[in-house]
Amino acid sequence: MTRGILAIASGGGHWIQLRRLHPAFEGLDVAYVTVHASYAEQVGACRFYTVRDVTRWDRWGIVVLVAQLIRILIIERPRLVVTTGAAPGGIALALAKIFFRSKTLWIDSIANCEQMSSSGTQARRFADVWLTQWPDIVTPNGPHYWGAVL
Amino acid sequence: MIFVTVGSMMAFDRLIVSMDKWADEHSGQDVLAQIGGGNYLPTKMRWTRMLAPNLFREAVREASVIVAHAGMGSFFVAMEMQKPIVMLPRIAANREHTTDHQLHTLRWLRSKPNVYAATSEGELGSAIDRAAKDDYASLGAFDKFASKELLVNIRQFLTQQDNVASIPMPGTIGQERR
Repeated sequence: MTRGILAIASGGGHWIQLRRLHPAFEGLDVAYVTVHASYAEQVGACRFYTVRDVTRWDRWGIVVLVAQLIRILIIERPRLVVTTGAAPGGIALALAKIFFRSKTLWIDSIANCEQMSSSGTQARRFADVWLTQWPDIVTPNGPHYWGAVL
Repeated sequence: MIFVTVGSMMAFDRLIVSMDKWADEHSGQDVLAQIGGGNYLPTKMRWTRMLAPNLFREAVREASVIVAHAGMGSFFVAMEMQKPIVMLPRIAANREHTTDHQLHTLRWLRSKPNVYAATSEGELGSAIDRAAKDDYASLGAFDKFASKELLVNIRQFLTQQDNVASIPMPGTIGQERR
């Protein structure tokens, strides 16, 4: 079986920004991961998982989240992992890079117009491609700019 | 109807308390609030913890004005539905978010048509008054998808390692955009 794509985003704006990338995913083997079961209605026949929603304030939540993500990664063994943030996406990127050698793409939320987000900064060393949506934030060593969701 | 939302994750009681007070002072107005995990339960407006995406869109569709935190999700849904949105940023010092990035976001978004900034809860009332006068019907359609530049770059990233070389993106983009 060929290894597919895992697309992961937290709720609200992170999820909507991932949905705005939909045409780029069309026709490819994609599994979605997010934090609200009700979002399943938006992904059609694609495989869909939910994980616990955490912030970095929630230490116990992060332990639960890591266990959930490892389970999903064992099932999916993704070739590529793409995230629009935030904390769950960053942790998924790190686990996929360390344990599954997945190729990883971080897209920082367009909300972060003056500096990279805190989870984006932490995800940097696990991201093969590390993107901002703001040209002003670009530096030669990253983040890079490939366009914006708006 | 006025639709108030704190977004989908953290509580934002400062917005909900202020809007409950606003609803009390405007008793003729129908107000519905998505309060998330907040501790304060409104008494002067209808409320719910969290709406599924289709019901959320329904609420936005029925609303004349959206009152929200300065989050991108609320912004995108309001723009897609062509509704004016009043935004009050979360402040990290109040533990309303992990950082002050909503202040930065709003400095950028407030220059957009249909967006009305309230820098503090005291400005909510006047921002709602301005938003209610918004001639939002006159605005053009809002794109449903990301810029073509980003879509093409990501498509290339997703397909470049496939044995099938590069699977071109189905011809939907370009057509669904303005």
